[in-house]
Amino acid sequence: MKRLREFEYYEPTSLEEASRMLAEAEPDARVLAGGTDLVVDMKTGRMRPSTVVNLKRIPDLTGIEDADGGTRIGALTKVDVVEVSPLVVERHPALAQAASILASPPVRALATIGGNVGRASPASDLGPALIVSDAVATIHGVDGPRDELVEDLYTGPGATSLARSDIITALTLPARRPGFGSAHVKLGKRGSGTDIALAGASASLVIGDGGEIIDCRIALASLGPIPFRAVGSESVLRSEILTEALLEAAAEAAAGDAKPIGDMRASSAYRTRLARVLTLRALHGAVESAGAGVAA
Amino acid sequence: MMIDLDVTINGVHRHITTDPRLTLLEVLREQVLLTGTKEGCGVGECGTCVVLADGKPVTSCLILAGDADGVTIETVEGLATDGVLTEMQQAFVKTGAFQCGFCTPAMVLTATAIFRENDNPDIEDVKKALGGILCRCGAYPKILEAVIEVKGEGT
Repeated sequence: MKRLREFEYYEPTSLEEASRMLAEAEPDARVLAGGTDLVVDMKTGRMRPSTVVNLKRIPDLTGIEDADGGTRIGALTKVDVVEVSPLVVERHPALAQAASILASPPVRALATIGGNVGRASPASDLGPALIVSDAVATIHGVDGPRDELVEDLYTGPGATSLARSDIITALTLPARRPGFGSAHVKLGKRGSGTDIALAGASASLVIGDGGEIIDCRIALASLGPIPFRAVGSESVLRSEILTEALLEAAAEAAAGDAKPIGDMRASSAYRTRLARVLTLRALHGAVESAGAGVAA
Repeated sequence: MMIDLDVTINGVHRHITTDPRLTLLEVLREQVLLTGTKEGCGVGECGTCVVLADGKPVTSCLILAGDADGVTIETVEGLATDGVLTEMQQAFVKTGAFQCGFCTPAMVLTATAIFRENDNPDIEDVKKALGGILCRCGAYPKILEAVIEVKGEGT
């Protein structure tokens, strides 16, 4: 493989320093977290940043901790750490499942959760799982820190609402409510994850004692330009009593929410079918994770 | 522009001055002259460039040199002691777990890392861990045989 093109390389030791460097650099400057997307993009020439700002020396960007019953995950936490974290596995099953099928083990050992969000791939594995978990990104900008729903960050393929000098510092997932369950599924070419999603779906449900769906989220990946909420599908479920027929109707509606492109990996029609199949599987997973049953 | 790295490679501490454009793979092969680590796709898909970083298998083609600073790295050259192959390496030889040998350093290192964590790993977990490495010769059954050889009989 040919050498990367020349770039200015910095390892700032504070968020303030990093934001300042990004603000002062050319607009093509890029933040380096795990590098598993950025380095690929630089090698293929898709990105040619004149400046690379590595966040590795900034303290407190790594680790998973309790946050009022919810879970705070530092942006530089590696995906393979998220995958096996007891807090994540117990409280946020969709995220643990998405992390466990992202790329391959030697890539998961490098990739970071914050980098995955910032990269904003339409095929993101973590994106839909974070969306159905109501995850909030904490962002450090020139005006200090602020919080935004992960769902609201995505604006297009590879694009976010983040400003040039903004840095994602943490993802926080709220506490698990009683009756909550969530799950993530994807279909790739190589069996158990390992490669990019042809399509992916996450679901979360809050199921009441009488089987009523108190709240729900469905989010899709590789089925539109960004990871996004399948609002039509959600509206089928909300406030209804959980039955198999209802789940199937919601899955059918998800196929209507999907706006997939056709490309070398799958046709648009095939992906639309996958939206239904994967949404149904994700919903079944969420029901199981909530410890609920489904009436026939 | 050059950067300084303090790294431990196969038990030897090294101070390396390098170009931040280089990947760990390029530093290992071209500066340290450890060519046991191979470049396959160069974009993290094939796993051929796997080395152990602080004990974990990682794709060295995706690591910019600056990220290798302070890391303990093991390559296939670091496995044998005084020319004596490790148990895993011997098992690969015994079962013929390769044809062209290009993926072998990554396979052996990954299998070695699995057994350091758990000396009786579940075969499904082994398949998952090795799933990130492609073997274009299709030697997978023999590679699993080598792993089972090390795992021991009746397990």
